[in-house]
Amino acid sequence: MYEFLTSLELYNFVKGPMVWVAFIMFIGGSIYRIVSLLYRAKKAKVIYPYMSLKYTLRSLLHWIIPFASTNMRKRPWITVITFLFHICLIVTPVFLLGHNMLWRESWNIKWWTLPERVADAMTLIVIFSALFFLLRRLISPEVRFVTFPSDYVLLIIAVAPFITGFLVFHQLFFDYDIMVTLHILFGEITLIAIPFTRLSHMLFFWLTRAYTGSDFGAVRHSRDY
Amino acid sequence: MIKVIRKPVSDPGMDETAKNLSPEKIEKVIKWVLEKEADARLKTFVETCIHCGLCSEACHYYLSYKRDPSYAPVGKIRQTIWDIFKRKGRVDGETVKMYARIAYAECNICRRCSMYCPFGIDMAYMLNLVRRICCLLGVVPQYLQDQANSHMYTYTQSWLAQDDWVDTVQFIEDELRMEIKNARIPLDKVGAEVMYSPHSLEAKFKTNLLANIAQILNVAGVDWTMPSFDGWDSTNQAMHVGDNETMGMVERMHFEAAMKLKVKKIVTSE
Repeated sequence: MYEFLTSLELYNFVKGPMVWVAFIMFIGGSIYRIVSLLYRAKKAKVIYPYMSLKYTLRSLLHWIIPFASTNMRKRPWITVITFLFHICLIVTPVFLLGHNMLWRESWNIKWWTLPERVADAMTLIVIFSALFFLLRRLISPEVRFVTFPSDYVLLIIAVAPFITGFLVFHQLFFDYDIMVTLHILFGEITLIAIPFTRLSHMLFFWLTRAYTGSDFGAVRHSRDY
Repeated sequence: MIKVIRKPVSDPGMDETAKNLSPEKIEKVIKWVLEKEADARLKTFVETCIHCGLCSEACHYYLSYKRDPSYAPVGKIRQTIWDIFKRKGRVDGETVKMYARIAYAECNICRRCSMYCPFGIDMAYMLNLVRRICCLLGVVPQYLQDQANSHMYTYTQSWLAQDDWVDTVQFIEDELRMEIKNARIPLDKVGAEVMYSPHSLEAKFKTNLLANIAQILNVAGVDWTMPSFDGWDSTNQAMHVGDNETMGMVERMHFEAAMKLKVKKIVTSE
């Protein structure tokens, strides 16, 4: 196992072709999921005729600004942690120095970079928020009632790149060789998992909100926040 | 796993019919509703829900049953829709009875949970599909089914046929003249401003409510009317049963009555 994980062949594989596979599956899968949903929604009589841009935007704004909806104000801790988790989860990998260097080396693409200390802190925020979600799943009865093994797997898929990335960066506990291979591998698994698991809420959040926002606003003349 | 504890409740509308269901019939109905009648929303909602439980606080059942998680909106979806998907529709009569209990007696389809869900998932839509399944299988609380049957037979909720309706209005008008001189309850006045359509029970058990409204509208000098023909009842119990065909008929009759009278507004009670 040790030899396999540290072997150059595996490293080259996850660093080369597997990256292509992951990105193609992530982007292609996302487009496929969204397009097929929009196509299937055509068959329903009550979705497109009631869509309203105004109420879609109203709904989205109230749910991407912290504390703009009733439920967020009722649970301030969860709101703060959830927002931090999601912001750090998306911002950190995109603007990390190490990742940007890879982009630059291979395609000579450059963009903003986070200071290393900030990126480090954000990684820790993701890991500790995930720990909070895990504890919430285990302790809170209304969440435990709807928790399946798949929920734990999804949480691990989402956070594993951050845990391994943190260990790689600080070169803690494990060999650098093993950790960097695992880090790349987990990152690719996460990318592939986004369109095909319930992590697809990243893609569908906008669409379900658009539907409910329009339904509540344009049809029922009520608020959905 | 948390145990779901409920007192056994007997209801002839559910117990008798659930006994006679064959697994093949149940599977056929479930497939029909979830694959043919349900649209893209169902799958998207099921595949988007991240099982966070943030909708719980919205539900008055959850709050009034001491935060029992099995009454939380997502808890009810777990026991019905997810359960159906997990078993691929192969369930027995007892399970359908459990679905019926949840969909009819533990959820009002008020949609407050959609207001609390970060993704805006329409849980009421999914529980309405469960009601539809139970309706097609005939596993419906008897009292509710009786009212839906009444809609089919008399076009009102409370077995009050059209001749009884005209009778009732006439005696209310008689009594109203003790309060107001020459009071009128104008029936079939074409071109009136307002069509008042009462709750069916206002004409059956609580006629004083209809008399009160008539008194108010008379004193306020509103140009109003009511149909003497079927379509005066504003209620629609078939909608709650999941009987979409009868629901459509009842709604159409109601609006067609307003069209025939050429009114500008429909005013309903409740």
